[in-house]
Amino acid sequence: MLAEQYAAIKRDLDDKGIVFSFSGYLSEGILYSLGEALREKMTLEETDGPTVRRVFSVFVEQMQNIIRYSAEKVTGSTAKPVELSAGMVIIGMEGGKVFIVCGNTVVNTDVPRLRERLDYLKGLDKDAIKTYYREQLREAPEEGSRGANIGLIEIARRASEPIDYDFHAMDGERSFFCLKVRI
Amino acid sequence: MEPLKIPATGRTPEVDFDFAAGILRLSGESYPDDVATFFGPVFAALRSFLEKPGDHPVRFDMELLYFNSSSAKALMNIFQMLETAARAGRSIAVTWCYEENDESMQELGEDFAEDLRHVAFTLKQVPADGAS
Repeated sequence: MLAEQYAAIKRDLDDKGIVFSFSGYLSEGILYSLGEALREKMTLEETDGPTVRRVFSVFVEQMQNIIRYSAEKVTGSTAKPVELSAGMVIIGMEGGKVFIVCGNTVVNTDVPRLRERLDYLKGLDKDAIKTYYREQLREAPEEGSRGANIGLIEIARRASEPIDYDFHAMDGERSFFCLKVRI
Repeated sequence: MEPLKIPATGRTPEVDFDFAAGILRLSGESYPDDVATFFGPVFAALRSFLEKPGDHPVRFDMELLYFNSSSAKALMNIFQMLETAARAGRSIAVTWCYEENDESMQELGEDFAEDLRHVAFTLKQVPADGAS
């Protein structure tokens, strides 16, 4: 029963082409370890260096967005400051392309601004994304942003297809946000 | 001025700023968990070096293989400091290295070079070492 139950979850992941999945509290330490595993796996499969770096770059930006902006967080201080943020990250293969999905809870009041940024990015072609990146690189960071805007541009830039995103209302205060990037 | 040497870690670059020789080098990868903590001392050392009058030419070798978006901001900050010093008359040359086939890093070099007017900027292709 036990094995059957989890085998079903595993099978479901396999069927969707999912190679890595993590759901729970994420930290910079987990980002580092998962990132290393991801790169080792891709290098073993003889993926070329630049592709590995492109996937890795999207992975890092997605993970850091969750760590910084998830609305479900535990912070505190033990020996050093700790910031744990709930979310999920999934990496898989689909039609010969690597995809990375991240998901996390956001507060509803942040949804319109995030949606606006993503819609704007989604509408830009490669050259426009590049110009936008150059502009933002020279801008002072917005208050409270911790650099999210340039992170999203970096993600869109490394993607081989327009980014996909969605929000799912959880209750009056929070929504589940999902971003899918194909590389 | 004392050199600034910071060994690389898994996610922070090697910093090798030999101020006396005028050779500054950044290599490895950069995606620190806290960019401000890592780059703070780098900015401080560079700023105090560039503020001192001197006519020794400066060479900056950008050999990072990967940096995240928050490091990009930090790097831009360094480039702006170098451009300011070059505008004031210091001879400054920046070499941006990228591995062959790494179009992303090559393009980033062009992005960073865009508004350099006084710094001599060179994009340099280097062979891929096979490691990622």
